[in-house]
Amino acid sequence: MAAEPTKYGKAKAEFVYMLNNEINKFNVFFMEQEEDFIICHKELQQRIKTVMDKWSSNGSRTEYTDEMAEIRNDIVDFHGEMVLLENYSNINFTGLAKILKKYDKRTGGLLRLPFIQKVLKQPFFTIDLVSKLVKECGNIIDEVLFPIEEDKEETKEQKGAIMVATEPVKGIFRNTVVALLTMEEIRRVSSTKDHFSLPPLNLPHSHLIHSFQLNSPIPIL
Amino acid sequence: MLAMCFFPVSSGREVMENSASLQESSLAPSNGTLGNSSLSPSIVTDHMCASALPHVQHSHNPAFISQSSRDLASLPPLDASFSQSTASLIHTQGNKDVSWSLDRLQMFLDLPENTPAPNQLVESSTGVLASEDHNKKTNWQEWADDLINVVDPDWSKILDNTNVLNPRVEVPKPSGDISKQQPQFHQNQLVPHGEFSSHAYPSSTAPPTKPRMRWTPELHEAFLEAVNQLGGSERATPKGILKLMNVEGLTIYHVKSHLQKYRTARYMPETSEGTSEKRITSIEEMKSIDLKTSIGITEALRLQVEVQKQLHEQLEIQRNLQLRIEEQGRYLQMMFEKQKKVEDEKGGVPSSASDDLLAPLPGSKHPPCNNGKSDSEALEQDHSRTGIGPGNAGTNEDKSSSGVSTKQKMLETESTVHDESGFSVSKRARTEK
Repeated sequence: MAAEPTKYGKAKAEFVYMLNNEINKFNVFFMEQEEDFIICHKELQQRIKTVMDKWSSNGSRTEYTDEMAEIRNDIVDFHGEMVLLENYSNINFTGLAKILKKYDKRTGGLLRLPFIQKVLKQPFFTIDLVSKLVKECGNIIDEVLFPIEEDKEETKEQKGAIMVATEPVKGIFRNTVVALLTMEEIRRVSSTKDHFSLPPLNLPHSHLIHSFQLNSPIPIL
Repeated sequence: MLAMCFFPVSSGREVMENSASLQESSLAPSNGTLGNSSLSPSIVTDHMCASALPHVQHSHNPAFISQSSRDLASLPPLDASFSQSTASLIHTQGNKDVSWSLDRLQMFLDLPENTPAPNQLVESSTGVLASEDHNKKTNWQEWADDLINVVDPDWSKILDNTNVLNPRVEVPKPSGDISKQQPQFHQNQLVPHGEFSSHAYPSSTAPPTKPRMRWTPELHEAFLEAVNQLGGSERATPKGILKLMNVEGLTIYHVKSHLQKYRTARYMPETSEGTSEKRITSIEEMKSIDLKTSIGITEALRLQVEVQKQLHEQLEIQRNLQLRIEEQGRYLQMMFEKQKKVEDEKGGVPSSASDDLLAPLPGSKHPPCNNGKSDSEALEQDHSRTGIGPGNAGTNEDKSSSGVSTKQKMLETESTVHDESGFSVSKRARTEK
């Protein structure tokens, strides 16, 4: 490092600059999504309330079920999207951490620790709001969707088995499954494990998740 | 009915596409839902494609970067996506004429002074860098000065065109030392990155084009109230809303964009039949027809929720783990610096011992004591080793060993570990999973 301080300094500054650009992109995207979610959340609440009011005052049963069915769909997807945003946040953070680690390794620098501290405070990584919304949404789902008890492990397996035989899954569901699989993958024991590595992941229902057929995200036309 | 949430998502994407004009960001992927395989490469490559790797003009720089990219390529990738990214890294390196020189000018001019650099992050990492090495700081400044003098005169035009608030840049004199690369002008890179603030309100130095602010539910409620008072989302005007809301720091641009989002979110469900068809097909698409017919919509939904909840849970756990790891890392670093200070103050302490102490910890090159252990365990073990170290080295035993043992003690209290290092910590880590 002592040999050419200017060269090293320039390269380092450039690297930091590039990282900052990326972080900026994360932040921008994240905050846009967050804003959308806030609006969407409120609208869903409004819709539920409207439907409930309509039904309790005079609505027809079929109308109620229809509209509730729509709301159910939308809520579940909303929940899914928010979780995927959380995943976005985490994956990018993990990526940055790995990049920094590699940088330090390559250059013998000490960039990682202070830089990652800054990253921790970035908007895209401060997901309290989204997390809260997810939980709230989850609660609503439990109330709105599934008043009927039926949860057994075996039935879940059966359903999964059926799914394996059918068409590949798409959309949010697909992305969620991919996210879980990726997380599992990233956290496999690696050769460069150190203090800052995450331990391996043990997913419940792992075999179920693995059994889904997943399309490539790139449509083949 | 198309999930109302979809539309806001895609409109969010449109906004992204408009703003990040020249730089395609696959970081803002379609629909806002992400296939992970598409994401990690883009972290590295996408930015590389558009900008920063320098054309091979300066002898020193490319050497550094090409070396690193070669090394990256030769390392066994951690996962598939990384090998993709290194491949494209090498591929794009030589190909692009980029605005790196302009960017660097910008960057270096930001660095020597901690004035309201538009990018908060740059500013703070400037602070970090500056504190790390003062020498480099002055070197950069010299270099930056040099750069200004040799810069192509066209730059003055370009600089005038930008929204960048950087009064320090004088009109440069032309002279031909550094090769004159005509820099491509990437608007989005020069526009100050940090157009957000950590709270809800933007920094006032940001240009009015796209101040980024962070909305909260409370703010949104205030917005809704204002809108309702003004007669609904169709009738309300941004100006009126802004006035009614009366929130400090909120600009009309924020309100405008938020209103637009709100309108789309509301009126998507209510547009013509064309939409309702779209809605139906997309629902089916999502659930996949066979899924629906074979196990019913409710079951499909349940399954979906189940998987989503699981992902959420895992993410939470992972995030907490990451936070803790970083916290410990930071703590150790602090202790280091304290100890180093103590030893330096003692004066003339041979640095070899402290180097031994310092070397393993930041985590860069650590001897393989970690194999087969969980991380926190390894962390603890490491501390106990280093705890013994300075004692043996026999340098200032009192101070250093007491310093280290305090550190160890504090670490132990922090992670509630007893004598034999990792057990309770690892137990805790396992239950978390």
